[in-house]
Amino acid sequence: MTNTVALANAAVRGVRGSGHRAAQLWRQSLRFRTLVIALALTSVAVLVTCVAMALAVQNNLWDSRKDQALKDAQRATNSAQLLLDSADTQGNRTAQIGLMREVSGQVQLVSASRVFGVIPIDPQAPPGLTAGGFSQEVVSDPLKQRVEKDATKQWWQPVALQDADGSTHAGLLVGRQLNVPGAGAYALYIAYDLADTEQTLVLVQSSLWIAGIVLVALIGVIAWFSLRTVVHPITEAAESSARFAGGDFDVRLPVRGQDELAVLGRSFNAMADSIEAQIKELGELSLVQQRFVSDVSHELRTPLTTIRLAAEMLNDRRDEFDPTTARTAELLQTQVHRFDTLLADLLEISRYDAGSVQLETEAISLAHLAEDLVDDMRPLAATHDTELRFVAPGGHTPVDLDPRRVRRILRNLIGNAIEHGEGRPIVITVDSSQNAVAVGVRDRGMGMTAEDAERVFDRFWRADPSRTRTIGGTGLGLSIALGDARLHRGSLAVWSRPGEGTNFVLTLPRGARPLDGTSPVPLEPVEAIAEIGVNTAPIVQPGDQAHVASPTEEEEKS
Amino acid sequence: MTSRILVVDDDTALAEMIGIVLRTEGFEPVFCADGAKAVDEWRTQRPDLVLLDLMLPGMDGIEICTRIRAESGVPVIMLTARGDTADVVRGLEVGADDYMVKPFNPKELVARIRTRLRPTPQSTSEVLRIGDLTIDVDAHEVRRSSTPIALTPLEFQLLVALASKPQQVFSREMLLEQVWGYHYKADTRLVNVHVQRLRAKVELDPDNPRIVTTVRGVGYRAGSVV
Repeated sequence: MTNTVALANAAVRGVRGSGHRAAQLWRQSLRFRTLVIALALTSVAVLVTCVAMALAVQNNLWDSRKDQALKDAQRATNSAQLLLDSADTQGNRTAQIGLMREVSGQVQLVSASRVFGVIPIDPQAPPGLTAGGFSQEVVSDPLKQRVEKDATKQWWQPVALQDADGSTHAGLLVGRQLNVPGAGAYALYIAYDLADTEQTLVLVQSSLWIAGIVLVALIGVIAWFSLRTVVHPITEAAESSARFAGGDFDVRLPVRGQDELAVLGRSFNAMADSIEAQIKELGELSLVQQRFVSDVSHELRTPLTTIRLAAEMLNDRRDEFDPTTARTAELLQTQVHRFDTLLADLLEISRYDAGSVQLETEAISLAHLAEDLVDDMRPLAATHDTELRFVAPGGHTPVDLDPRRVRRILRNLIGNAIEHGEGRPIVITVDSSQNAVAVGVRDRGMGMTAEDAERVFDRFWRADPSRTRTIGGTGLGLSIALGDARLHRGSLAVWSRPGEGTNFVLTLPRGARPLDGTSPVPLEPVEAIAEIGVNTAPIVQPGDQAHVASPTEEEEKS
Repeated sequence: MTSRILVVDDDTALAEMIGIVLRTEGFEPVFCADGAKAVDEWRTQRPDLVLLDLMLPGMDGIEICTRIRAESGVPVIMLTARGDTADVVRGLEVGADDYMVKPFNPKELVARIRTRLRPTPQSTSEVLRIGDLTIDVDAHEVRRSSTPIALTPLEFQLLVALASKPQQVFSREMLLEQVWGYHYKADTRLVNVHVQRLRAKVELDPDNPRIVTTVRGVGYRAGSVV
């Protein structure tokens, strides 16, 4: 039982599957669609034509056969009547039988049918004759009545004749009154076998069927091949467009002849040429920009190096100067340093604009990198009476990232946090998920409004312009950080509330899959983590000399 | 004895300023402003270290470094205004031991010069083994079954660092600290390029390193002794 059920299910699934595939083919293949429509219409047309032809032939055949039969029967009856009229039997029984036989022969000859019968209308009259297996049962009552009633007309009806082997086929029965002198009125019934007509009809019908199917098939094949010549160039154009879109700018369509396809080909090629030229131009522009940036960089930096060395030298010797000169030397030093940083940032930004930045990735554990950086920045935080707390539930496995850039981002975020943190502890969280790693820098300082938070990544934008920066900043740090994040195909997001603080979250994708909008570190800070006042133990990397972690420790950490 | 330092830079003001800084720190600077004359000047002066600007008239810094390296392992520090990868890596590949991006902190420059001029600590007079090589630390020689391999002092130090602790996996930061003398997060490209240079010289098949093996995500380790 279960076997049949399973089989039925499989069959249904198979049908549904193939139905699904057919639907897909319908959608995707122009050839298939056109072919199916053409075949359908052709089939309908051929079907209608064939049926009409078959019906016409049938009627024609039937009518002509019937007419022939009736004519023959009429002649036969007439000649039989003549024979009977001219005979003179005088009641002689033998003569009568002989006469009947003559009549029978005559009827057979003229009517071209071997199946007939002469039946007395008056049951008392002497019996007639039958030939060829004629039986009275074949005569239906309505026909009998008509024949017996009306002597002037010939009556007929279609009947089913039975063969010797029991098979039935169509036949025609014609009946007319005969007047046998001396015996009374008799009815002459002549049966015509229409089996041959039937056969002819069947032959015609099957021929039409075959012809119809062959025609439809032929049309299908012709349509398929003719579509091929049309659809092939279209497919070619589609493939070439796809290759072009994919980056292969050399692709062109072959142009043959002057028809619509040739026009398509020419237009496509013209478009491809134009796009290729534009891309080349843009590429060259970018190269020019890149070179400019490089050249400017070199030109500006060499004199700046001298200035910096000089300023540094003077600053080191400021004890030897009088107070005013000493202070001048100090100011010179700090401003030269600021100028240098600004120049570096500006050049970095212009590289993003030119699109000429490249990632240099290494497989690095984000947690490890972040922890080292946090340790490095603790002295700076200490000068602002700020505590840095590091929590890393995840992000230990190495991910491909550019360490220099990620460090720069974190340094900027932590620097901002220290600057705006109002002395309250800053929490740096590293976590990971299957698709991404993330690090969040949360401060509980002054925070900013939602509008300000939206603009915070703008270049040279400050939330409070009147505030002086204590930690050196150029106003470009976050723009560069955002650029670096985007370079990694990652994201940098900010959450802030006035009076409650700010949370920046950097999310980097792990592997080839792009980010889906969620992050392992929640943007809206989870209070529980922020409240944790615990520093985790230092992250242990395999290969660190001092510590070999025991299995239980490893489990807890990962 | 004061170390002589050759400063090759076409910007005379900068060269002079660097000279002042070096003199203050007790070095003896000599100068060359023309790239075409740089190699000859180097041969004549025989400095203990070369500060080499990359963009020079006559012959560019890369070419000069290649020529110097063909003859000697003298420490070379590149000075460049371009911090771009391609230029820096190229410079390191042709043999520079370190690089500084202009404008730089003079104190940092001095620190790096001192590190490069630091004599290699004679740990022991033992012979170290790494892969199928033998390293004679005192004699500064590396041999593969009695065929010597020429390495610059930096490459030699790198190899010795790895070979002296064969089980140890060295992170790039550790190597930067031990071999280059940095105590803070510096550019790990230095390590990458120099490991490549080292591999090109000592490995039988640089694509399948047996002497200096990579531990992905962590760093490098000495290959096992055969």
